[in-house]
Amino acid sequence: MLLQTTPFVGMIRNQAKALGMPNLPGVVLAHPIAGVPIDTVYAKLDGAIDEIIAKLTSPVPASEVAAPPGKQWLELDIEDEWHDLQREFIRRGWGDGLPLIPPTEKRVAAMIAGAGLPAGHLVSVLTPRMGMATVEKIAVNAVMAGCLPQHMPVLVAAVDALVDPRLSLKNMQVTTHPVSPLLIVSGPLTQTLNINGSTHAFGPGPWSNGVIGRAIRLILLNIGGAKPVEISKATMSHPGRYTFCIAENEAAMPAGWKGLRAERGFAPEVSTVTVMGCEAPHNINDHESITGSGVLTMVAGTMAQTGQNNPYYDGEVLVLLGPEHASTIAADGFTKDDVRRILFEQALIPMSRWSPENIQRRLRRFLNGRHKDSPLDTLIGPVQRADDIVVTVVGGPGKHSMYLPTNGKSWSVTRPILKQDGSPWLPADFPTSEGK
Amino acid sequence: MKIAIPEGQPQPHTLQPVDRPRSLEGLRIAFLDNTKAPVDKMLVHLENRMREKVPGMQPVQIAKKDMGKPASPEVMQALQNVDVVINALGD
Repeated sequence: MLLQTTPFVGMIRNQAKALGMPNLPGVVLAHPIAGVPIDTVYAKLDGAIDEIIAKLTSPVPASEVAAPPGKQWLELDIEDEWHDLQREFIRRGWGDGLPLIPPTEKRVAAMIAGAGLPAGHLVSVLTPRMGMATVEKIAVNAVMAGCLPQHMPVLVAAVDALVDPRLSLKNMQVTTHPVSPLLIVSGPLTQTLNINGSTHAFGPGPWSNGVIGRAIRLILLNIGGAKPVEISKATMSHPGRYTFCIAENEAAMPAGWKGLRAERGFAPEVSTVTVMGCEAPHNINDHESITGSGVLTMVAGTMAQTGQNNPYYDGEVLVLLGPEHASTIAADGFTKDDVRRILFEQALIPMSRWSPENIQRRLRRFLNGRHKDSPLDTLIGPVQRADDIVVTVVGGPGKHSMYLPTNGKSWSVTRPILKQDGSPWLPADFPTSEGK
Repeated sequence: MKIAIPEGQPQPHTLQPVDRPRSLEGLRIAFLDNTKAPVDKMLVHLENRMREKVPGMQPVQIAKKDMGKPASPEVMQALQNVDVVINALGD
């Protein structure tokens, strides 16, 4: 039996249905129950107590036998293949609100071929709808997003990464927090597929970043079922939920610094995609520091903020250093391990900066009560250990870096971009380079 | 015009709910806290009110470690030892 509040009824019903229990009983309380005096919550409960007991002791109808697979194709009688079709997409709730490319048989077949895998190959099952992300379904959404067939290996690797339990996709798909899976593509395929990691890495621009990131969002919406408002409850969301894909700028990595794929043990010829659940990027402007310590002081200051999720939980955060900031830091002899250590030591906020309610209800309770009895001048940071600060180099010329908090509950996941036989996709596999 | 449907087919499930008890008297009732504020206080209050109406019930307060992640094996094991679970979701 589930206790739920009004705005979340649809989401919870949908989840129960997806898990095979559509008739699971629930009792609905008026929203909200958080951020209000506790006596108000008690009064809501008191008004529902008889219904709670009744539903716990009433028979639950047996669930219907699972419905057979539905139609996979639609025949539409439309006059205007552009405007009428876009209206049909919106009516069915399939898109992100922007125009979609019609997924015709020819386009979908070409996209499937780009994956080098059978159409029915199941890559993952996406929460909360528990939708089966087959190569064919990934391809349909890739067409709609505007992808080219050569983008499919990246999408397949990313969709596989999405369901790694370390990422906590289930939380990202439904939470009120503004989190979205960010794709960081690394390696030789970034050039081949025209995935930008330099100036304007977060877009816009004539690169593949936009369509690859958009395809992932459409896959999460249409296959995972994270429909805005009804299922995905992000209070404001963030613009990265339209598209959120960058390349790592390995060429600008200072000497001696490793990129993400090297740090995570992949061979130089293997391209990878790293998926990380991030908030929108927060800029770090530092035009003045001429030492590595100075730049890191500014980065740490940007990371030290109370409104982010991270100080309450155990998970990672992301620091994207602009090439010029990275160069200044490295020129003073700092390694990436040094960067993580210094940021861990400096990105700290006294507990007294949080509101009394957040101190009492979160800081003192979460993380196994680590701060249960800590004094108010205790310094608290966004992560629990230095290694949970993911650091890499992205962007072009300029004195800017980026800090991206996460939902606080997840760790990044890196997948190699591989063919069906387990060998890596290489630039030579894309001779026409139409991704450019 | 023929177009593909982008929605993924849901993975089939065969779960069926267990039979409900006719009465809660004497049963072990778990109150499962997902750690969302203020679920912990809510469930203690609910337990106290239910005690007034359900003689002999045996309450068990159980908490997940993290609201955003599936219950741990320890929590799932504890839930196997009760008759009824009330799972409260916050916000």
